[in-house]
Amino acid sequence: MKSAIEFCKNEWNSYTRKTKIALCVLLGLVALFAIFAIQILFWGLGYTDMNNVFAMGIWIIGDLGLVALGGGAFFSGFLLYIFRKDDLEPLINSTVLIGFMCYLFTFILLVFDIGQPLRAWFGYTYPNWGLHLMPKSMLTEVVWCLTLYFCVLCVELIPIPLKHKVVDKIPFFHYLGHYLHRLMWIMAAVGTFLSFFHQGSLGGGMWGVLYGKPGWFHPHFFFLAIVLATAGGTSFMTLWPYVASKIMKKEIVPMSSFQALAKVSGFMFIFYLSYRIFVVYTLSTVYVPMADRSFIDLLGGYYGLWMLSLELIFSAIPIVLLLVPKFREQEKFMVAGLISGVLAVLFHKLFVVLNGFSIPNFAWRPFMGYNPTIQEWFVMAGALACMALIYMWFAKYMPLFPHLHKHEHHEA
Amino acid sequence: MNKKWGMAIDLDKCTGCGACQVACMQENNMPIFKDDSDLPKRVTFLDLMKVTNDKDAKKKYGEVQVAFVPKMCQQCEGNNLGAHQPIPLETVKKRVLGGEKVFFPGITYDEQDNMLYKPEVVYTKDMVEDLEKKGVKSVYFDNSQPPCVSVCPVVATDVGDDGVVSQVWSRCIGCRYCQTACPYEARAFNWWNPRYEGDFKKSLNPDVSLSSRGAVVKCTFCSHIWKRERDKLLAKGEKDLNKVKYNPACVSACPTNAIIFGDLNDPESPVYAKKLNNDERAVRLVHSIDKADPKVREKWIAKKNYPNPKVYYLSSQKWLRDILVGFKNS
Repeated sequence: MKSAIEFCKNEWNSYTRKTKIALCVLLGLVALFAIFAIQILFWGLGYTDMNNVFAMGIWIIGDLGLVALGGGAFFSGFLLYIFRKDDLEPLINSTVLIGFMCYLFTFILLVFDIGQPLRAWFGYTYPNWGLHLMPKSMLTEVVWCLTLYFCVLCVELIPIPLKHKVVDKIPFFHYLGHYLHRLMWIMAAVGTFLSFFHQGSLGGGMWGVLYGKPGWFHPHFFFLAIVLATAGGTSFMTLWPYVASKIMKKEIVPMSSFQALAKVSGFMFIFYLSYRIFVVYTLSTVYVPMADRSFIDLLGGYYGLWMLSLELIFSAIPIVLLLVPKFREQEKFMVAGLISGVLAVLFHKLFVVLNGFSIPNFAWRPFMGYNPTIQEWFVMAGALACMALIYMWFAKYMPLFPHLHKHEHHEA
Repeated sequence: MNKKWGMAIDLDKCTGCGACQVACMQENNMPIFKDDSDLPKRVTFLDLMKVTNDKDAKKKYGEVQVAFVPKMCQQCEGNNLGAHQPIPLETVKKRVLGGEKVFFPGITYDEQDNMLYKPEVVYTKDMVEDLEKKGVKSVYFDNSQPPCVSVCPVVATDVGDDGVVSQVWSRCIGCRYCQTACPYEARAFNWWNPRYEGDFKKSLNPDVSLSSRGAVVKCTFCSHIWKRERDKLLAKGEKDLNKVKYNPACVSACPTNAIIFGDLNDPESPVYAKKLNNDERAVRLVHSIDKADPKVREKWIAKKNYPNPKVYYLSSQKWLRDILVGFKNS
């Protein structure tokens, strides 16, 4: 016990002042997360600003955002292992870890979001299946697909700790890691297959099938969400390790890898932006008029036109900054492109959820508003703080960046 | 069962007294919270909505009109996306004899709207021969679903063969996806632990189960009263379920008979659907597709499901009908 306390003390003293401040902030957020989590789980969702009309809020936006941004993991794995885009090799461990955390915290946020977390397993035992392998409910599809893909991410994550110099010395773990690594292309293929479904269902299909709601009903939402995850997810997977490299002040990933993934992101945003414009066009000309409403009327309220416009602007910026070599090769423009790629995802999810719920169902009602309570904010922020802490721990103790590891080994 | 329960609410007769709401809350064991003025979080099956033609408070004195609209679950059925096309029994027979697995996902009906088989049936040779003996020449299947039923991830909500949308409180995981899908805000979520203070507990209805915190609840047209009436008939030796008649609590409580209830398929019933559909005074809530040009309606119904609710609102006031039916006219 004494030696453990001693170890912790030495560890703490080895950090710089800035790291200590960052850790204090993050741990403080985690502590608040724990307090409010207990309040929500034991006393109910009455403490949130959600209600019978605005039935979902910040946590579902967080889920949608995390899954879409974590979608960069499947797409990067797909490009590396199936398309053999070897430039991405130095990024892949970080990508898998971020994907794993995004999905893990999606589950955690879902536990808070549902009213009966102890019945969460009903999704597996009483699923709403239709004919054969076709689930009837989009949420059934989400539950099953997310679970299976999370299992895939766990298998993809295992080789990282197995490559740790202490573990690697044990022959069993060495060979396990080696063979798991050789199986990785299968995992990447399975992950891609599963991701296509749950990205589509959670991100878009879940809203697109709601035929009673004019703001959401659209058959293309399913496919739009997949394209968005490939575009915005890759931006996120580039941005996160880039920020880590700046904090660690080391070249953890070669700039060519960052640029390779950034270029992919910029390229995918061409498809996303064109598809989004098509969806907005068909919404305004076909699907919203079907409900005897006009699209422009639905863009009123607090979360209307400005949010959609910002989403489109943020989707256009990466096309210019990440695809044109002149801009991409300058770090500041590349980072600006990546940030706007991530913001495009966030604004899309914000628009879908907030605007969709705010639209009045009855002609005599005004637009609704939603103001998350302190419990909702801190559960969300605490989840993000946990993610940051896990990543920091992996970056410090695990061979998360093979490029850095090789470089250090070479120098030694 | 051949019944399709429905409701008609005559807003000209409604005085907005709230008796229907009180009766509903008492009948269905609705909890009462300290602050029930928190309307968006209130747990109630029947909401008495105040509707006015002066949303923006710009009308002059004398022009403002107000009505009270009792709104419960509209028991939508969906418009079936054209699955109502009759299929000749000969075709089904050929496919079955050819060794094909003939599967009907929805309820199968004959030409007279009699239910033949429950949903999700794989047809066998014996079944087809049985239908032939009964003289059935063609069948159609009804695959329509209310907006809330198909979305539930755990089958906590379903629609019965009498068209009533049910909800199993103890199956619900509280994801609120059905609330999101409902265009009528008819579903309520238990945001807090339901409380029944003092003597209130003694008046709880033993026929309706109490919901726990974190589950979605909704109006079921008081289906427990139907069960009670069914049991009474069974005790008398009557086994034909179609003979069971009942009224939900809100209907019984209305002092002006503004709410009437019955079988939408029965020409003798006061809520016979075909009669209501042709009644100029009748509209369905946020269902402007009913009033659309027939050609447009046909085109859109083939493309998109519509809620197709089983509650009709009757009013002689045009402004009220317009505001209830949808948006563009209001």
